[in-house]
Amino acid sequence: MLPLVFAMGACQELEQDVLDGVTAEDIAKSTNPNLISVLKASAYARIVGSWGGHNSIWSIQEVSSDEMSIPQKGADWEDGGQWLRMHRHTWNPSEESFNNSWAYCYSAIGEINNLLVQYPNVPALNAELKVLRALVYLWLIDSFGNVPIIDENSTGSSPTNNTRAEVFAFIEKSIKDNVNALPKDGNKTTLNFYSAHAILAKLYLNAQVYTGTARWADAEAAADVIINSGKYSLSSNFFSNFSERNGGSTENILTLPYDENNAGGFNLPQMTLHYSSQATYNLQAQPWNGYASLEEFYNTFDNADARKKSFLVGPQFAADGTRLKDISAEAGDPDGQDLTFTPAINMLAPNAFRQAGVRVGKFEFASGAGPSLSNDYPLFRLGEIILTKAEAALRQGKTAAALAAANQIRTRAGMPAYTSLTLDELYNERGREMFAEASRRTDAIRFGKWGQPWWEKAASNATVRGIFPIPQNQLNANPKLKQNPGY
Amino acid sequence: MALFMGAVIGVNAQSRSVSGTVLDARLGDPVPGATVLVKGTTRGTATDLDGKFTLPLQAGDQVLVVSFVGYLTQEVEIGSQSTLTISLQEDVTSLQEAVVIGYGSQDKKEITSAVVGVRPDNFNRGNVSNPAQLLQGKVAGLSITRPGGNPNNGFNIRLRGLSTFGANSAPLIVLDGVIGASLENVDPNDIQSIDVLKDGSAAAIYGARGSSGVILITTTKQGSKQGTTNVSINSFATVDKATNLIPVLSAEEFVARGGTNFGSNTDWRQELIDDGYSFTTNASVSGSFGNTNYLAAVNYRDNNGIVEGVGNERLNTRLNLSQGALNNRLRLNVNLSFSNVNSESINDAAFRYATIYNPTAPIFEDTPAANQRFGGYFQRDLFDFYNPVALARQQKFVGETKTALLSYRAEFDILPNLTLSAQYSQDRRNTLSGGFWSIQDYQVGFGSQGSAERNTFDRSQRILETTLRYETNLTDKLNMTLLGGAGVQYTTNQGFNARVRQYLFDLGWNNLGAGAIRLGNNTNVSSFANEDQLNSVFGRANFNYDNTFFFSVTTRAETYSGFGANNQTGIFPAVSLGADFTQLFDMGIFNQFKPRVSYGITGNLPPSATLALGVYGNGNRIDLDGDQLTQNDVFVGINQFSNPNKDLKWETKQEFNVGVDFGIWDGKVTGSIDYYTRNISDLLFNVPVATGAPNPFDPGRFNTASSTWVNLADLRAAGFEFAASVNQIGKGAFKWTPAFNFTIYDKTTIESLSAGELGFQELRFATPGAPGQNNNPIIYNRVGQTLGDFYGPRLTGLTERGEYILSTRDPNQFEKLGNGLPKGEFGFANTFMYGQWTLNMFLRGAWGHDLYNSYRGFYENGDTASNTWNSVITDKTPTSPLVTSTPTFNSSVIEDASFIRLDNMELGYNVKTNSQNFSSLRVYFAGQNLFTLTNYTGVDPEVRVNDSENGDSFTTSLSPGIERRNTYFQTRSFTLGVTVNFK
Repeated sequence: MLPLVFAMGACQELEQDVLDGVTAEDIAKSTNPNLISVLKASAYARIVGSWGGHNSIWSIQEVSSDEMSIPQKGADWEDGGQWLRMHRHTWNPSEESFNNSWAYCYSAIGEINNLLVQYPNVPALNAELKVLRALVYLWLIDSFGNVPIIDENSTGSSPTNNTRAEVFAFIEKSIKDNVNALPKDGNKTTLNFYSAHAILAKLYLNAQVYTGTARWADAEAAADVIINSGKYSLSSNFFSNFSERNGGSTENILTLPYDENNAGGFNLPQMTLHYSSQATYNLQAQPWNGYASLEEFYNTFDNADARKKSFLVGPQFAADGTRLKDISAEAGDPDGQDLTFTPAINMLAPNAFRQAGVRVGKFEFASGAGPSLSNDYPLFRLGEIILTKAEAALRQGKTAAALAAANQIRTRAGMPAYTSLTLDELYNERGREMFAEASRRTDAIRFGKWGQPWWEKAASNATVRGIFPIPQNQLNANPKLKQNPGY
Repeated sequence: MALFMGAVIGVNAQSRSVSGTVLDARLGDPVPGATVLVKGTTRGTATDLDGKFTLPLQAGDQVLVVSFVGYLTQEVEIGSQSTLTISLQEDVTSLQEAVVIGYGSQDKKEITSAVVGVRPDNFNRGNVSNPAQLLQGKVAGLSITRPGGNPNNGFNIRLRGLSTFGANSAPLIVLDGVIGASLENVDPNDIQSIDVLKDGSAAAIYGARGSSGVILITTTKQGSKQGTTNVSINSFATVDKATNLIPVLSAEEFVARGGTNFGSNTDWRQELIDDGYSFTTNASVSGSFGNTNYLAAVNYRDNNGIVEGVGNERLNTRLNLSQGALNNRLRLNVNLSFSNVNSESINDAAFRYATIYNPTAPIFEDTPAANQRFGGYFQRDLFDFYNPVALARQQKFVGETKTALLSYRAEFDILPNLTLSAQYSQDRRNTLSGGFWSIQDYQVGFGSQGSAERNTFDRSQRILETTLRYETNLTDKLNMTLLGGAGVQYTTNQGFNARVRQYLFDLGWNNLGAGAIRLGNNTNVSSFANEDQLNSVFGRANFNYDNTFFFSVTTRAETYSGFGANNQTGIFPAVSLGADFTQLFDMGIFNQFKPRVSYGITGNLPPSATLALGVYGNGNRIDLDGDQLTQNDVFVGINQFSNPNKDLKWETKQEFNVGVDFGIWDGKVTGSIDYYTRNISDLLFNVPVATGAPNPFDPGRFNTASSTWVNLADLRAAGFEFAASVNQIGKGAFKWTPAFNFTIYDKTTIESLSAGELGFQELRFATPGAPGQNNNPIIYNRVGQTLGDFYGPRLTGLTERGEYILSTRDPNQFEKLGNGLPKGEFGFANTFMYGQWTLNMFLRGAWGHDLYNSYRGFYENGDTASNTWNSVITDKTPTSPLVTSTPTFNSSVIEDASFIRLDNMELGYNVKTNSQNFSSLRVYFAGQNLFTLTNYTGVDPEVRVNDSENGDSFTTSLSPGIERRNTYFQTRSFTLGVTVNFK
């Protein structure tokens, strides 16, 4: 009978074809000579991803610090209070941005580990991937502290926390074991010998915070490897490192190679500019009027400091030179309807003036830019490394070396050289140099400033709030994971 | 026929006789073969082909009893009349009614599971383009909703509440035996019957696709009677009017509240909306000659909404042909249907801006800048501030969907009681759509310098099924029917998308090549394709013992390519039994009292066939050497954006149903009562996992995505359903037929959201949106609680200055504020007949559901935003003091949305005709959505089963009860039509 004939065939195993994608099996069978390079670049693409967008790891690093805030303009930007809590250090483990940041890091780690499992016998690839993984762990140790170490040999689908000291050791070992296998080329979009040392320098610089044991000399030594290599030099024009076409920067060491078309995710114009600023840059989409810097922080810049142009301040104009207006400016706004970015912000919430606050102008907004910029984002650049050297030297009492290093940065900014240097002054100088480069939070913690009050932020417990909480979603997904102390 | 055969014609000496004609009351057609008996005797006759009869009478004969299968038996006083015209009403609730149950039909009296049939007389009236709308409110437990009045929107269909988190929350449609057919394949006018398989035992014959219930649609396949051709034309015109617009401030009030004054006075909604006129014509030819039956039908519908640029034009053509051969032992059926739907729509945000755009702003502005940049429309560079008239005119979206359903069926009676059948069907659906943003469209086109897109989506499903059916009497009282079958189904989806930007002229999708930028923001080139295969084996055994005890057992086994390699075959068994107590005891007024009990397991397929595999998708474009001048080393990266799960399998629903079917006073009152409980387990869900950690479902590899599709969670739900109808009560020429149904839901409870170590205690969804409410989900799904609860701060009062006093600001301290799913729903249908007049009136409603009123949630406060946007002033808006805080989600914007609606009403008149040319002529006037009683102050109190703005199509069901600001306005419709049946 026909039905019976059918019945016999009906319950055989069926193969599911994939018509528009590939599976791990397809990749294993492929002989395309470009495949490994593309897979490696795809792993890098994970860290390009959402770094430069709103609700990202960049957002939590910046808004929690004293150099950035997202004032609530009436209804706009209330957003459940997340960004107010972020600025006021009253965040909780359920903040969406924490989970985004965690997932951003660990999805890259998963991708890297899969490649290490798949290509165990390609030494150069293995070395680079392990250093890339160490870079991701540097963000994790800095943000979340006691995170699970997962490497290509890990088993068990619910990993437990490692201590910050263990993570520190893992990063250090990953780099030391592999740094000599990395090329000493000038490639800025993939890791090389020097960018690996930049990771080390930053790790050692914060060693006291991460492990309780300072490693100033190691930080200085790592910085010296880069400085003394002669491969990098300070750009005479500070802003050339942040321009739309900054690929040729002599100063940038490792960048996230954003591209409007190929690699999106750097959404700074949307995040910081006023709605009306669309006409200034002929942007493809209307900005969101969000991120603004703090007046106190702005005022740490001398007017002669070339880097003060890191802020957009004052009257705003359309590309054709006409004065921009905000016709819905609040009745109480002293600037009226003529669009003006003022350093003073009347309040963080609920009714910050829409025009209040200086905006992030460090990265060039090219005319006609889309929501995603094409500027490459510098993760490490020589300017920072020189300040690392200055700080490490100063903390070891090597004042002359510290001054020499710091003054390179001062001079480039058009400022008179220091004749003496305190840690507080170095903190401020680092703030001016590194504004909007996701460094301020880490620096404030290291310099002991994190618990202090600042605009719209009361004094806080720097020990607890110096580490972000493990995101609630991650605790839910992994019952073996323990929350950071104090949360 | 049995009655006819059994009639005995007495031959007695006679003094007088009576003659007459028996007609179909609805169609006015003669009824041949009807039995006419003298009451209290066995004397009688049958009508001839013209419905005429002559019956000799004896002294004392006072009443004639006229009956025919499918009609209500009617008694007629003879009195002194010698000629009678007797109109028989169709018996829509006849106990002899055959109910379609999947792979066959069953006498309604034998049904032991929860199955409801709906016939055309009970369908909703008015301009109904979508078959789902025919059933709205008609079946207890079947919830059919379309909030707002957009003619392009489909209906959300839910049977007995939510049965899955995933994509397949609507019941499976089986159209003339074709599983999974699209409703677009059938025009409402061609439907002969719709049967709803409600419980797990009835749906189990559809196995892994049956969890959300099954709706079986049968199209008309023959003429109204043997040996004739029926030509029918139905034509109507409809006007749609916007109704229930939310009150907003006038221009003066807006300025008084601090609004920016642009010096004009515009009622934006009046500018946007206009009455929509729609026209429909259905024409059909049907006939039955010997072993040939056919229907040929053409349905043309031109529906226009209340906004220019919203509407659709549909043409549906159907040919159903069946032919018997070998003395009707071999039966061949062909069903062909083709449809063409051209739709156009606007950006629905126009409805939002029309409500809250500055009322002092003019529509147009005659300045060089406005003319050059915005086509003369008034625009200002404020956040979220777009001229609604411009938005509706300068963006345009179209779709052209062609469907073809070809179905071929052959049945052969190997023995009189052994039938082999095979059915092959091919269901194709091709959609071509376009989107256009003018260069002068301020929202998107301006920054992009114009943009356009073209998309295709093609779906094809092929099914071959064979069945063998055997019926026998095991003893003289025990009848057994066996059905066995097997089938294979192939599904293919594919599509192509292209979008470009930066045009010199607004050429739109007709010339994508004229868009200069084809990469990056607002551009796209992509395509996709997928296919899957489902193999099935199934069987059913029905037993009928002496028309008293009924028993049924069903099993289906399904093997699906999209299940994980470790779990490819699911088995879905069911059993049901019932007994008609009236056959056992004297039940007094009851002519039927059939308690029944059933249990069945059904399944649900994954929303995509490749979920188990962890397919690598496209990543960034990668320039291997970083040098933009060399292009031969540029590739698209590959990233694994989902984690594989080799254990992935079907969802399982276990449903237990007890019910009783009853008939009272010889079927004058009929009805059924059901109670069900269902446990749904192994739900398919994308669950957060330890990102980066080893993947437990794919040993040796690591999670690259933060979530994995797994089977988890347990849901429990229950409900009580009641339906009853009374057949024609009234006196003389006045008749009233009421039908009432209601459902009380024991809302779905989340028993667990875990599987092993994976899972969560809580899932939060649905943020209100910009401005300022982007990161605050308002729906928490918590273990142990009902699904889709609203959580937020309670508004305990206002300060003197009008600031909120909220119970808390901490999201973890928020309290439960309500739930968007209803506690109950009801439908109340009434047919009144008086002579040639018929009045149908249908009330329906839902109670116990809340809605988030987003207009109030954003635009009722007198805060700083009220200088930009107009404010709504509903009955629930606090006015003294006015709220001055910035809008924050709180308990006051969650409103009880219980409602009663006069859904549709139709007054019809059957014109008496003796014409040689046509047999009936009916004129009707109908209204839809005539009034709504509710305390809800938003756009439409209709239940929202899912959230239109939840970007993840797999979780929209987990955020019910949200009325978004872009909701299309409610409409009220009036229809005038005529139906003519030609001889």
